[in-house]
Amino acid sequence: MTDRTSSAASRFLWYLPVLAIVAFFSFPLIWVLMTAFKTRVDVFADPPKFAFSPTLDNYRRVFDGPFPDALRNSVIIAIVSALGSVVLGTLTAYGFSRYKFRGQDNLLFWILSLRMLPVIAVIVPYFILFRRVGLDDTLLSLMLVYAIFNISFSVWLLKGFFDEVPREMEEAAKMDGYGPWGVFFRVAFPMVIPGIATATVFNIIQTINEFLLAFVLTQREATTAPVALLNFLTPLGLDWGGISAAASMLVAPVIVFAILVRKHLIRGMSFGQLE
Amino acid sequence: MSTLTLEKLNLIYSGSTHAVNDVDLAVADGEFCVFLGPSGCGKTSTLRMIAGLETPTSGEIRLDGRVITRLYPGERDIAMVFQSYALYPHLTVRDHFEFPLRAQKAPKADRRRRVEETAALLHMTDLLDARPRQLSGGQAQRTAIGRALIRQPKLFLLDEPLTSLDAQLRLETRTALKRLQTELGITTVYVTHDQEEALSLADRIVVMHDGRVQQVADSRELYRSPANRFVAGFVGTPAMNFIPATIQAGRNGNGGGLDLETAAFRLPLPSELVGDARGLAPGRAVTLGVRPEDLAIGVPPTAPAAPRGRVIVVEPQGDERIVSVEVNSLPRDAANGHPGGAPPETTDQLIWKVRAPKRGHAEWLDPGGLVGLTVRPYGLRLFDAATEERVL
Repeated sequence: MTDRTSSAASRFLWYLPVLAIVAFFSFPLIWVLMTAFKTRVDVFADPPKFAFSPTLDNYRRVFDGPFPDALRNSVIIAIVSALGSVVLGTLTAYGFSRYKFRGQDNLLFWILSLRMLPVIAVIVPYFILFRRVGLDDTLLSLMLVYAIFNISFSVWLLKGFFDEVPREMEEAAKMDGYGPWGVFFRVAFPMVIPGIATATVFNIIQTINEFLLAFVLTQREATTAPVALLNFLTPLGLDWGGISAAASMLVAPVIVFAILVRKHLIRGMSFGQLE
Repeated sequence: MSTLTLEKLNLIYSGSTHAVNDVDLAVADGEFCVFLGPSGCGKTSTLRMIAGLETPTSGEIRLDGRVITRLYPGERDIAMVFQSYALYPHLTVRDHFEFPLRAQKAPKADRRRRVEETAALLHMTDLLDARPRQLSGGQAQRTAIGRALIRQPKLFLLDEPLTSLDAQLRLETRTALKRLQTELGITTVYVTHDQEEALSLADRIVVMHDGRVQQVADSRELYRSPANRFVAGFVGTPAMNFIPATIQAGRNGNGGGLDLETAAFRLPLPSELVGDARGLAPGRAVTLGVRPEDLAIGVPPTAPAAPRGRVIVVEPQGDERIVSVEVNSLPRDAANGHPGGAPPETTDQLIWKVRAPKRGHAEWLDPGGLVGLTVRPYGLRLFDAATEERVL
């Protein structure tokens, strides 16, 4: 009896710091969720109220405004640009990992350097470019820009995963009669799925959170969720309840997608180290 | 019927490293041919060129008379088992067996039948739904062999397939592999650095060193008549004993015969052997080689320059002992032209290994004891000091 109790106790002691860390990091999220259900009076209560009668007024206000359309735009843009970036990134990373060519390192560094560039440095050229070709304030323009910005991350992440695939595994498939595409789809690709899941989730998070590019490149039609949050900045002050309700909706798609691919995500984030 | 021919095969890496140098070889139909050599000798590079995973710098590879030198690996009708087995973590054993058949777009019924047959052949029927991480080393290895054999290739390549198995399993798998190959009669090229594996498996062994073929022979000939000093030293455990020597005119009354003068001893060359030797004349520099079993150990000799030494280590080996004898630690007799003290030519410690039967026990067989060595006349091998080719 004592054994079992002591092991349960020690396990509880182990979980205590874990609980503390989880509480620390989830506190802002919980705070936002609580605020989303508070009345305007409760939001400004001092000291903060943890027990209050919840209201759906904030969500009603959010749904009546332009935010749902903006959120839909955000989700569409995030998914399409993430797919574009991951598809191109996967093929590029495979090429860098498997084929040797002149100037390879320089090219790889150049791809990474795209990521180092501050967004503000390219925002005006992009704006002019898209206006010239008639793509300003369209979903397509943002999909393209985000895919371009995220591709460097996808390439670097996935190249690491492809490097881990033993060369002999691909050679075995070649011996068995598969051509280059067969080798890629039947051997390399299945083995980097965790990396692809990770790259996709990171791309979606990046895109859904992005503000500056979306703010400059859209006016009304293609407005994304982070930009639409500005509507809660009213002449009467900040609508904290509305912002919180909208923010909770913004988090939802990322959480849903992360849950869908969580099995691969854990292996992906540990770069395949966990079995 | 599958014969493999290599003609003047060369592989030069990045312009300088000559990994494979003018390799010529013909492997007969159904033959079990083993490439043997130390790491970096070019054996795996040669195998990879046969497989199509490496492109030769020059030369030609033919399978059944058809030139395959520049064909894509999958078009050569060659199967290969890799050292790491190259199993896919996301596929089951059944998937692995089906893998090459799917590439051939074999009909489903045909695939199923051949998977069942291969599984039965390799005793893996119960494991068809297991994934690689659920398999033991031996089972993983059989999976790799099954994947290679299922499409009945013309040529079967194996790259050190037993290396990652433990000793017991290695022996069992070796036997199983040999039986399988004999039953199927499939032409096989096998790469290993383990001479025991090579000697037990091969119909013919190709010994390689520095990218060149040193000798192609069956295990018996390789052991008895090594082509050069490298083969002599590489094949056999413990290795052949060597000592630099000079041919001199005989003076111990063996009728104008020849003697071998070394830093440690002087040995008359039996006249019946000298008849076979190519160009043995006084003054020629050679290397003397003697296998441990061609030496007999006994009490120190009374003759002034006969081989003798001090026992360093005695290793019991079951039914025999391996005795390490330092042959040049003792001062030589002044009458032989080498005044006492360290011998002039080899100052390094020179240790010879001797196989001694394990019956009885003599005090001089303990470490530190003085012993005499007798060389069995037919165990003498002489190699040219410069070319290292065997001359006797």
